[in-house]
Amino acid sequence: MQPVVSLNNILVTRGDSFKLSVGRLALQPGLIYALTGANGSGKSTLLRVMALLTPAFEGTIEFSGNKTNNPAQQRQKVTLVEQSPYLFKGKVIDNLNYGLKLRGIDSNERSRRIKTTLANVGLEGFEQRQAKELSGGEIQRVALARALALKPELLLLDEPTANIDSSSLQGYESLLRDLPKYGVTVVFSTHDPSQSQRLGDQVLRLENGRLLSSPQQRLDERRNLYGT
Amino acid sequence: MTVWVSLYTSSCAIVIAALLGVPIGLWLGLNRFRGRQLLLALLNTLMALPTVVVGLLLFGLLSRQGPLGPLGLLFTPLAMIAGQTVLATPIVANLVLAAVTGADQRIINTALTLGASRFQAAVQLLREIRFGVMAAVIAGFGRVIAEVGVAMMLGGNIRNSTRTMTTAIALETSKGEFAFGLALGMLLLSVALLVNLFLNVLQQR
Repeated sequence: MQPVVSLNNILVTRGDSFKLSVGRLALQPGLIYALTGANGSGKSTLLRVMALLTPAFEGTIEFSGNKTNNPAQQRQKVTLVEQSPYLFKGKVIDNLNYGLKLRGIDSNERSRRIKTTLANVGLEGFEQRQAKELSGGEIQRVALARALALKPELLLLDEPTANIDSSSLQGYESLLRDLPKYGVTVVFSTHDPSQSQRLGDQVLRLENGRLLSSPQQRLDERRNLYGT
Repeated sequence: MTVWVSLYTSSCAIVIAALLGVPIGLWLGLNRFRGRQLLLALLNTLMALPTVVVGLLLFGLLSRQGPLGPLGLLFTPLAMIAGQTVLATPIVANLVLAAVTGADQRIINTALTLGASRFQAAVQLLREIRFGVMAAVIAGFGRVIAEVGVAMMLGGNIRNSTRTMTTAIALETSKGEFAFGLALGMLLLSVALLVNLFLNVLQQR
């Protein structure tokens, strides 16, 4: 199957210091990838590179086979939800409308999508709430809804459960697990090894800015293991 | 009439200054490039520009022997508007720059990742810091409505044409009409007070 996104020989540096190097990484559609690694291993950098927010010093990123010529257009295929997301001032509905309006989606379809995505994240009827009056967990979920409403091909989540209290964690995780059903490929970063095993179809491990095992390698290893 | 001239010239000047200063402040706030520090220092210097110096320089340009002399702009409201625009633009640009620098660093990336172009993201940033932008514009207005140098040197204090509240105060006082000057001064003060009250209301939101 054609990968959602493939990275080739990506090198990211900041000033003189090395940040990230990825030889080859192709993400298959409809899977959940868990991105693990210690603090400073480059998880957020890799997510930002894939979100086309941090430019790579070298290398190419291709979405569904297209080279990234027009960054603004390519960026509409992928959305990143940051660890502590920013909500625009105003109401929840304004936040969800923003990306939809940029895509030229008409108002009927917009309000329909907003209603269903808010329900999906457990925030039914939150449309008219003011963003600044929300709790940390609610902000996290509004940000997720804001991303989901756009129906991105690739959804990137930076430590999505870091600000979620333990009582809502289960609901949040089952929501993430359902995303591939809607045709969304997910990459989320996490510190929690059990979470990466629990949720991830594949685990990507970063160490000092290098990808330890690309999914393809893992598949190969498994094949060797079983002698196929 | 003098009140009207004051309000009219200052309002025109601040509109032009906002159209110039807001993009300059936004651009300086969002981009890092060689020579940026130099530009910032220049902008700060321009902010402290004495009004008579601006008046003097533009007088040189607009006077009959000057390069723009044939336009016949000297001692017209247009000349005053030009001078006041020069005074207000650096203030607007600088305060917008401060608002952009102080804005949440995540705004631009959030807009970008939701599908905005760089330009659309910058517009969204402006929307997020709109009160800071308004404060910048009002501060610029406060400077131009209160200044004497440009109005006097470029306007010429002509009754019913270029006489503003500030030049009228200067004139009446030198004529010995201290009481009338004082009354005008009070009027000017109340305009300044109104502007600042408005600013306060904005900042509290």
